[in-house]
Amino acid sequence: MPVPVILLSLFIGSTGQADVGTALELAYKNAVASPLSSVEQESWVMIKNIICNVRLPRVLMTFLVGAALSVSGSVLQGIFRNPLVDSYVLGISSGAAFGAALAMTFTLIPVSVAAFAGGILAVVLAYLIARSGSGASIITIVLSGMVISGMFAAGLAIVQYISNPYKLQAIVQWTMGNLHAASWEELKRIYIPVILGLVIVFIYRWRLNILSLGDDAAKATGVNPGPDKWILIGCATLLTAITVASVGIISFYGLFLPHIVRMMLGADNRKAIPASIFLGGTFLLVIDNFSRSLFAFEIPVGIFTMLLGGPFFIYLMRKNKLNWH
Amino acid sequence: MELAIEIKNMSFSYGRQTILQEVNAGFGARRFSVLLGTNGSGKSTLFKSITGILSGYKGEVHVKGRLISQLTHKERARQIGFLPQFYQTVFPFTVEDILLTGRAAFSGFSPTGEDRALAEQVLAELGLEALRKKHFPQLSGGEQQMVMIGRLLMQDPEIIILDEPTNHLDVYYQHFLMSKLKAFVAAGRTVIAIMHNPTLAYQFADDFFFMLNNTVVPAVSADMPELDMLKAVYNTSFLHIRHDDLKIVLPVGAGGS
Repeated sequence: MPVPVILLSLFIGSTGQADVGTALELAYKNAVASPLSSVEQESWVMIKNIICNVRLPRVLMTFLVGAALSVSGSVLQGIFRNPLVDSYVLGISSGAAFGAALAMTFTLIPVSVAAFAGGILAVVLAYLIARSGSGASIITIVLSGMVISGMFAAGLAIVQYISNPYKLQAIVQWTMGNLHAASWEELKRIYIPVILGLVIVFIYRWRLNILSLGDDAAKATGVNPGPDKWILIGCATLLTAITVASVGIISFYGLFLPHIVRMMLGADNRKAIPASIFLGGTFLLVIDNFSRSLFAFEIPVGIFTMLLGGPFFIYLMRKNKLNWH
Repeated sequence: MELAIEIKNMSFSYGRQTILQEVNAGFGARRFSVLLGTNGSGKSTLFKSITGILSGYKGEVHVKGRLISQLTHKERARQIGFLPQFYQTVFPFTVEDILLTGRAAFSGFSPTGEDRALAEQVLAELGLEALRKKHFPQLSGGEQQMVMIGRLLMQDPEIIILDEPTNHLDVYYQHFLMSKLKAFVAAGRTVIAIMHNPTLAYQFADDFFFMLNNTVVPAVSADMPELDMLKAVYNTSFLHIRHDDLKIVLPVGAGGS
C-alpha cells in the first residue's frame, strides 16, 4: 500500500503543475517518440525539477514523520498503559518545541539536540507524575500532560516574545506543523535518527507487549521492566523531538494512528509496530496531499491533524470511561 | 519438612508505619499453603517482598535454601510464578498474546515455536482452548483470572504464589480455580495463596497461616480449624461444621462476645 500512495503523492501539488497526465505524456515523448519541441523541453525540465527536488524529498520526509509519530504514539500508549496519550498529549512535543525554539533563537546548540533535551524533560515529568502515588489513573496522566504542555507552551511564548521579528515569523510558521520546508538537506538531517529509532522500537516490539501489562505483571514473570521501558521511552522521545525540530508540532497524529492499527490488527505489537510504521507513513501522506491540494494555498498539516484528532480524542474519552479510575 | 520458601526476620515499613514486623515463616514444598488475614493486614506487602516485586524489606527470603537476592531474574522466574492481585490492560490483546508474555524472562525479543506449543498445552490444561483468539479485556473476571494463571504456568515455576486469586470470581470459578490449584500440588508444585475467605480455604488447602499484628502465625494443626485464632484475625465468630471429609468453617457474627 505505501508504494502507490508515494507514487501518487509525487504528482499532487497546490499549483496543478506537473500532474500525472502531463508528466507521463512528456516522459513518454522524451523517451520513445519524437524529440520534444523547445516549449515542451522547458516544461519537461521544470516537471523533473518539481518532482525530484520539491515533491520527492517532501514525500519521503512526510512518510518518515508519519511513521515516527505513529510509532512514538504506539510506544507511549503501551508504556503508560493509556489509550489517550501520544507525544502531544504528554507534553513531549511542546517540550521539544520549546527546546528547539530556544536553540533557534540563541543558536548555542543544534536544534535537534535541544528538542531532544526538552522532550526528555517533559517525558520524565510525565512519567514521575504517572508513577507517584499508587498508580495514577488514565485521566490524571492526560491532565498532567496538559499542564506540562501548557508550561512548555508558555516557555515557547517567552522565547517568541524576546526573539527578533524575522526569527519570530520562522518560529511561528514552524510550530504550526508544516511540511512545506521539506528539502533534501532537511531529509538528510532527520533520516538517520528516525530510522534508528524505528529500528530499535521494531526490535523491542514484543517487549512492549510485556510492558503493556504493567510493572508488577512484568516483574511477576521475572523481567526487570526498567531498562526496556527507558530504551523505548527514549526512542519515542527521539522520534518526536527529531520531527518537531524539523517540521514543528503535528498534534494528535500519534494518538489516533495506533488506534486505527489496533482496530485492524489487534493489540499485539509484533504486528502493530510494523503496521504503525507503514500505515503511519502512508496516512500522513494522504493527509498532506489533501492539505496541499484542497485549497489554492497550503494549510499546515498540523492544523489538519488537530481537526481530525480532536473529535477522535473525545470519542476515545467516552469509549474509555469505564477505565477512568 | 522440606521448605519451598522460608522467611527470616522480615520487617517492612512505609515511613513510620510498620507493615510487617519480625516475620518468620516457612512454607512447605509440594503443599497448598494459605495465608489468611484481613484487608490491609500486610499480606500483599509480604507476598510482594517474597516474590521480589517490592524491595526495601529487612530480613531474608530463602527459596529452597538459596537467598532470593542471589537468584538471577531468569532463575527466579523458573522457581517462582506470581499472580498479583491487580492487573489490567486496556488494549485488546488476545488470550494467546497474554500467555506468550509469560515467557518474557526466557525468550528475549520474540516468543519461539516452543513457546507457542507450550501455550497450546496450557490452554488445553486449563480448558481454555475456545478463548485463544478472544480479546482479554472482554473476558469475564473468572476467565481473565484463569488466563493469568495460565500465563504463570507458561513459566513452568516450581512454586506458585497467588494474591487473593478468588477475588471477584463467581462461585463456579472459585471452586474451579481452587481444585486446579490442588491439582497443581498433586502434580508436584508448591502453591502458596493469600486468601481472605476462610470457608473456601479450609475446603482445599493443606497448611494454614494467619496474619495477625503485622506478623505471620502458623496454625497449630492443619486438621482442626482454630476458631479462636480465626476470631482474633477477623474479629468475627466462626462455626466449624464437619460434613463427610469436608471442613466447613462459617462466619456467624461480627465483633461482640
